[in-house]
Amino acid sequence: MKKWHISNLYLIFVFLVLYLPIIYLIFYSFNAGDTMDHFSGFSWRHYGTLLSDSRMISIVLNTLIIALLSSLIATIVGTLGALGIYSTKKAAVKNGLLSLNNVLMVSPDVIIGASFLIFFTFLGFSLGFGSVLLSHIAFSIPIVVLMVLPKINELPATMVDAAYDLGATTWQTLTKVILPAITPGIFAGFFMAFTYSLDDFAVTFFVTGNGFSTLSVEIYSRARQGVDLEVNALSTLMFIVSLLLVVGYYLLGRYNQSRRMQRVKAAEAKINQ
Amino acid sequence: MHKKTTYLIPYMLWIGLFVIAPMALILYQSFFNISGHFTMGNYEQYLTNGVYLKMTFNSILYALIITMSTLLISYPTALLLNRLKNKQFWLLLVILPTWINLLLKTYAFIGLFSQNGSVNDFLRFVGVGSHQILFTDASFIFVAAYIEIPFMILPIFNSLAELNPSMINASRDLGANSWQTFRRVILPLTMPGVKAGFQAIFIPSLSLFMITRLIGGNRVITLGTAIEEHFLVTQNWGMGSTIGVVLILAMFVVMYLTRDRKAKGGRIQ
Amino acid sequence: MANSVIEFRQVNKSFDETKVLDEIDFEIEAGKFYTLLGPSGCGKTTILRLIAGFADATSGDILFEGQKINELPANERQVNTVFQDYALFPHLNVFENVAFGLEIRKISKTEIKTAVNEALKLVHLSDYGNREISELSGGQQQRVAIARAIVNEPKVLLLDEPLSALDHKLRKEMQGELRDLQRRLGITFIFVTHDQEEALAMSDQIFVMNAGKILQSGSPVDIYDEPINHFVADFIGESNIVPGKMQRDYVVNFDGQDFSCVDAGMKPNEAVEVVIRPEDLDIVAVDTGQVNVTVDTQLFRGVDYQISAHDKMNNEWKINSIHKTSVGQIVGLAFEPEDIHIMRYHETEDDFDARLETYE
Repeated sequence: MKKWHISNLYLIFVFLVLYLPIIYLIFYSFNAGDTMDHFSGFSWRHYGTLLSDSRMISIVLNTLIIALLSSLIATIVGTLGALGIYSTKKAAVKNGLLSLNNVLMVSPDVIIGASFLIFFTFLGFSLGFGSVLLSHIAFSIPIVVLMVLPKINELPATMVDAAYDLGATTWQTLTKVILPAITPGIFAGFFMAFTYSLDDFAVTFFVTGNGFSTLSVEIYSRARQGVDLEVNALSTLMFIVSLLLVVGYYLLGRYNQSRRMQRVKAAEAKINQ
Repeated sequence: MHKKTTYLIPYMLWIGLFVIAPMALILYQSFFNISGHFTMGNYEQYLTNGVYLKMTFNSILYALIITMSTLLISYPTALLLNRLKNKQFWLLLVILPTWINLLLKTYAFIGLFSQNGSVNDFLRFVGVGSHQILFTDASFIFVAAYIEIPFMILPIFNSLAELNPSMINASRDLGANSWQTFRRVILPLTMPGVKAGFQAIFIPSLSLFMITRLIGGNRVITLGTAIEEHFLVTQNWGMGSTIGVVLILAMFVVMYLTRDRKAKGGRIQ
Repeated sequence: MANSVIEFRQVNKSFDETKVLDEIDFEIEAGKFYTLLGPSGCGKTTILRLIAGFADATSGDILFEGQKINELPANERQVNTVFQDYALFPHLNVFENVAFGLEIRKISKTEIKTAVNEALKLVHLSDYGNREISELSGGQQQRVAIARAIVNEPKVLLLDEPLSALDHKLRKEMQGELRDLQRRLGITFIFVTHDQEEALAMSDQIFVMNAGKILQSGSPVDIYDEPINHFVADFIGESNIVPGKMQRDYVVNFDGQDFSCVDAGMKPNEAVEVVIRPEDLDIVAVDTGQVNVTVDTQLFRGVDYQISAHDKMNNEWKINSIHKTSVGQIVGLAFEPEDIHIMRYHETEDDFDARLETYE
């Protein structure tokens, strides 16, 4: 086992392939020149451009506001939904609700985006901040449910009985017994909804209209116009933020997963059951 | 106990408005032509006009190539990762790139693959000479596979980690060599992971339109690109929805084909 | 020994800094039922893994029919294992599981069919070939695991605590069946267990192990009657172990009195331990036995009473008696010189055997 295997070369190759494009991107963000193919010297120039780009800064703020608001609302609705699913007695109804809950987990983003676009247009709802926020809330709710529900299911049934036995009302039982016990699940759901929102491109792209933009959409439209080292500078900053988030989650022991990874896990669970 | 129903009001509203209504609307919309008249024309056109069928066939072919090449790279990787000492740490390193915005990773390849980019520099260096890489089928497949690799490694890694080591000992004990053990025991027992990876990659490969747009140029058209085009460029929502319905059907077919066929679930523990 | 199938010569095994096996030496003869007996972590399973080829010895030689097999991979060894968790392949049905080893050896389909059916018949599962593993009970899975191993006609069958997951009744049943199977097939069985009753009931030879060492080997009767030290006496069956002093050959002193015994070869006045099995003690009226004891507790167990008592030197005595006493009562204990077994401190098995030679 301790011997050096040729197979390690293969692993090194895979890791190189995984990380080289990212390192490449970051490397050229320090290029004094304007292209991603010739490094003409070290410079902070593109970071300067990025920080004085008021359009980019307002887009970052928009993205953060959408992420915070949508994850907050999705957490509330999702937690209530999980409590509702938990207290549903009929197995058929419960399974039906869970299946509906998973529809947006398994659907491809283009389908979610296109169907939401039809939906908003059908209602005459104008596209912009509102439609993006509602869409983000919508696709974040199921993950909150999936994070919270197992925590509720883990609660011993006798705990709730004990609360009633000790004279607590339904409301007191909820706020003083159930909610504190499922707080870790609620937080996990919130953080995950937050990262989903930050990461989303396809759904936003469909429902954003003309006036409003988020970071992903902005990166896409700039990338379509070719190389722009301001985007490289932005990716360095986003990489650092992602790294900090991952380390933070890891240290908190709340091992977080991107939206896609969560989908993989859902698929695994389905196949394994 | 009347509280129980009040819990559910916002959640039920969400299910009604954002799950059922949009899905119903996409089906409804697929029966309307560009001027708003009810018609079966979209489906008729989809099935009779060779362009759509060819596009669908190509999209499925691309998705298959992407998924299979990802599988070929990921299975050995997962196998080797499982033998490492701090395997959870290495797995985290595999997952880390999935945290970086998909568009940024795709954007990196615009630079790497450009006429004077590093890949062409390298090709010139080894004497092959520079090539047009960007906007080719190969570049699209490569970038898509690059993005999907972690999503294939993770489920395979997990199913390998769950594999009872005494299964491997038992196989060796019964006379099987390493290759026979792999083919007869390890591979069949990790099929659930492979299937999960397949599901997780095949469907997005049909629908990720941003990679086709940025890397494939307008050469590669997938189901996802076609939907985006019809909704956001040509404004032919009816046809877009029809293709959307096809994509949803494709999703169900894939999920059906990759389900656990032999409902054995006989994990001994 | 011409007949030896497996031999260990000064085998050591360490994981990092911890020594799991310490200078293990033994020989296994063909056609017998061996048991490695010891508490968990004593190294018994490690020995099995070394024989099967799942682990490598840190030092020492492992021989199979006189050939060193340290480097031979597991799939080329003529031994088969019945695993503790059975390790049946969940993706294969019963027939396919049993056929696995034969298919690897590229034996013809018809021969495989005959051999598998034969093996399934042997473990009373003739009609189960098409069942899935998940449909079987624990006892049935156990039988499939045995069939899967014996169908390959190994020279040695290794059994790693195969009965530990079964309930008491099934366990007793399987003990008998395994013993019977070994006699019929004539294959060497090496059986690992921590259950001393199981070991005594099934084995021709028992190796008692503790802390990476083989403490004593011998037939069940030898080991039960003449345990080499405190650990073995305590681990196998119930024992009364009291400190004593060897006055001279055939006379031992404990509880302040001299008793005649059948042991010899110690130094005069040597401190020893005296073993008397609880079932060898008879309760008699005060002063009519060899020792007087005061009853502390008494438990009714159905067949008999389990009585705990102490003598005047405060040694504890366990007695199994069909006669009832009462707590606090003083009774006499009667036993014969043959019931007394003397153990020296720190005597190795070789010294023990050599001493027996001198007077037996």
